[in-house]
Amino acid sequence: MPSGRPSLVGLLGLFFLLLIIVWLGVNFVKDPQEFINVFFVGLTRGAVYALIALGYTLVYGILQLINFAHGDVFALSGLIASSVLLSVFGVTTDSGAGLVIVAIAVALIVAMVLASTLNVTIEFVGYRRLRHAPRLAALITAIGMSFIVQNIALAIYDVDYQSIPRLIPNSSVLTIGEVALQWNKLFVLALTIPVLLALTWMVRETRHGKAMRATSQDRDASAMMGIDVNRTISFTFALAGSLAGAAGLLFLLYFTTMRYDTGFELGLIAFTAAVLGGIGNLTGAVLGGILIGLIQEFNEGLAWATPGGDWTRSIVFGILIAILVFRPSGLLGEQTPEGE
Amino acid sequence: MSTPETSTAVPVAAGDGDGAGGPILKVEGIHTYYGAIHAIKGVTLEVRKGEIVTLIGANGAGKSTTLRSINGLNRPREGRITFQGEDITNRPAHEVVAMGISQSPEGRRLFPRMSVLENLEMGAFQRTDRQNFGEDLDRVYDLFPRLAERKTQKAGTLSGGEQQMVAIGRALMARPKLLMLDEPSMGLAPIFVEKIFEIIVEINSQGTPILLVEQNALMALDVAKRGYVMETGQIAITDDADRLSENEQVKKAYLGIA
Ligand SMILES: Nc1ncnc2c1ncn2[C@@H]1O[C@H](COP(=O)(O)OP(=O)(O)O)[C@@H](O)[C@H]1O
Ligand SMILES: [Mg+2]
Repeated sequence: MPSGRPSLVGLLGLFFLLLIIVWLGVNFVKDPQEFINVFFVGLTRGAVYALIALGYTLVYGILQLINFAHGDVFALSGLIASSVLLSVFGVTTDSGAGLVIVAIAVALIVAMVLASTLNVTIEFVGYRRLRHAPRLAALITAIGMSFIVQNIALAIYDVDYQSIPRLIPNSSVLTIGEVALQWNKLFVLALTIPVLLALTWMVRETRHGKAMRATSQDRDASAMMGIDVNRTISFTFALAGSLAGAAGLLFLLYFTTMRYDTGFELGLIAFTAAVLGGIGNLTGAVLGGILIGLIQEFNEGLAWATPGGDWTRSIVFGILIAILVFRPSGLLGEQTPEGE
Repeated sequence: MSTPETSTAVPVAAGDGDGAGGPILKVEGIHTYYGAIHAIKGVTLEVRKGEIVTLIGANGAGKSTTLRSINGLNRPREGRITFQGEDITNRPAHEVVAMGISQSPEGRRLFPRMSVLENLEMGAFQRTDRQNFGEDLDRVYDLFPRLAERKTQKAGTLSGGEQQMVAIGRALMARPKLLMLDEPSMGLAPIFVEKIFEIIVEINSQGTPILLVEQNALMALDVAKRGYVMETGQIAITDDADRLSENEQVKKAYLGIA
C-alpha cells in the first residue's frame, strides 16, 4: 500500500531500485550498442514469459487458484509441436519456406488446441469439485496435476531433449551500427503483441470477456445474471491453455530445444512474472513477463558489475520475495478487499 | 418464543378468481440442505400474477435459502418448484434467469470493480433482444435518477443506498417476469428505506410480481398483498398481509409490538 509513512523496508526497497537504475545506466553509457542488443534478447524472452504468465493470471483471476500444471501444459504442447514439425512435416534446415510456414501454422493450431483441451480437462477433473473445498485442497491438486502432465510428457518423450532445426533464421532484419534485430526475435514479438492486444480487447469488450470479469468478481451474483459460470470457467481454462500452446511453439522455435521438465522452471518464472505484475491483472502479467525477461538477460548479457548466469535464479526468485514483502498486490494489482 | 400455530387463512392451492392473477411461481414442499445442514424443511409458497408477496422471519429462518432454491443456486433435494407451469426444480441458475426470474441478492453482491453502467449491463446478460436495452436502461434511470449521475463510477465505491439501487436496477435489466428482492432495506438509513419501498411499489404497479424477503416486517407487510412467516426452515404462518399485521403472534415476534 503506497502510504505516506516511510518505513525502513520501504526505504531499503527504494535504495535497491536506485542501485539497479545506476547499474543499468552505467552499462548503457559504457556500451550502448551491446545494451540495446541485450535489451532485444530480453524483450523476446520476456514476451514468451508474458504469454505463459497470462495463463496463470487468467486462471487466478477467475478461481483464485494457481494452476501449477500450466507450465507443464506449456512444455507438453511444445513437445507435441516438435513432433508435428519433425515427424509429420519432416522439416529440416533445407526445407522450402512454403513447407516451413505450413508446418509452423499446423503445429501452432495443434499445440493450441491440445493445450486448451488439456487445460479444460484438468479443471473439469481436478478443480471443479474442489471449488468449495479449502484452498489447500485445490493447491495440492494443482501440484499433483503438474506432476501428472509432466509424467505424461516424460512417458511420451523420455528424458531426452527434443531439438528442431532453426526454422526462423537468426540473421538480422535490420542493423543500425552494431545494433541488430534478428528475424527470430522479430517473429516472436510480431506474434506475441497481437495476441496480447486481442486478449485484452476480448476480456474488456466481448460478452465472454464480461462474463469472465463478472465471474472473477462474484460467482454467485454472476449466475444470478444468467451467466453460465461453469462454461465461463472452462472457457477461461481453454483460453489460458491456448496461450500456453502458442508459447510452447514459440519457445521451441526460438530456443529450438526443450524436454519434459522445461515447463517446471519456466512455469515458476512465469508465475513470478504474474505476481510481479499483479496476479489477476492482464497488463500486469505482460509487464511482469517482460521485466523478468529483461532482468534475466541484463544479468547474463551486460558486461559491467554483473552477477552473471549463476545468479539468475536467485535474482528472479529474490524478486518474487521482494514483491511479496514490499508490494504483495504486484506492480499493477488492485488492492481489493474481496480479492483475497 | 412459543411454537407457532399454523393458521392458514388463505388456501395454498388458490387459483384464479380472487382478484389477483393465477400463480406464476409455485414452491411445493421443498427441502434444501447445506451439506448435512437441513436448512429448508418442507416450504410451500406461491406468487401470483401482479402481486407483492413477502417472506418475513428472523435471521437464519431460511428466507435467503428459499430464494437460492428457487433461482437454482442451491437445489432442493425434495419437492418441486414450477414457474409459469414449467418445472424448474433442477434447472441451473443461468437458465432460471433466462426464463424470467431475476433477483437482487442479500448484501447486494454488485461487481465492485465494474462501473454502475457495466453492472446494469450484466443484468441484461442473458437477454437476446439487445435493441430494447436502451429503453430498459432509461427505465432504471427514471426509477433511480441518482444512478444516471453515477454511471461511470465503480460500483464498489458507492454508498450502501446507491448500491442497493444498482442491485435492484440490475435485476430489472433482465426484464423479469418475477422479481425477487432479498432484504433490500438492510443496512440503509431510514430515508433510503422509505425510498426503496416506494420504488418496490412502483415497480410492482408497472406489472412485475415481486417476492420480497424482509426483516423489516412492518414495512414489508405494508406494501405486500400476502405474506409468509418463516421460522427455522418452515412456513409458520401465511395470510393476507393486512391480517398478518394484526396477528398477535406476528406482532409479538416480528413487529416489536407487545
Ligand atoms: N453457506 C451456508 N453454509 C451452511 N449453512 C448455511 C449457509 N447459508 C445459510 N446457512 C444456514 O441455513 C439456515 C438458513 O439461512 P438463511 O437462508 O441465510 O436465513 P435467512 O435468510 O432467513 O436469514 C441458517 O441456519 C444458516 O445458518
Ligand atoms: Mg437472508
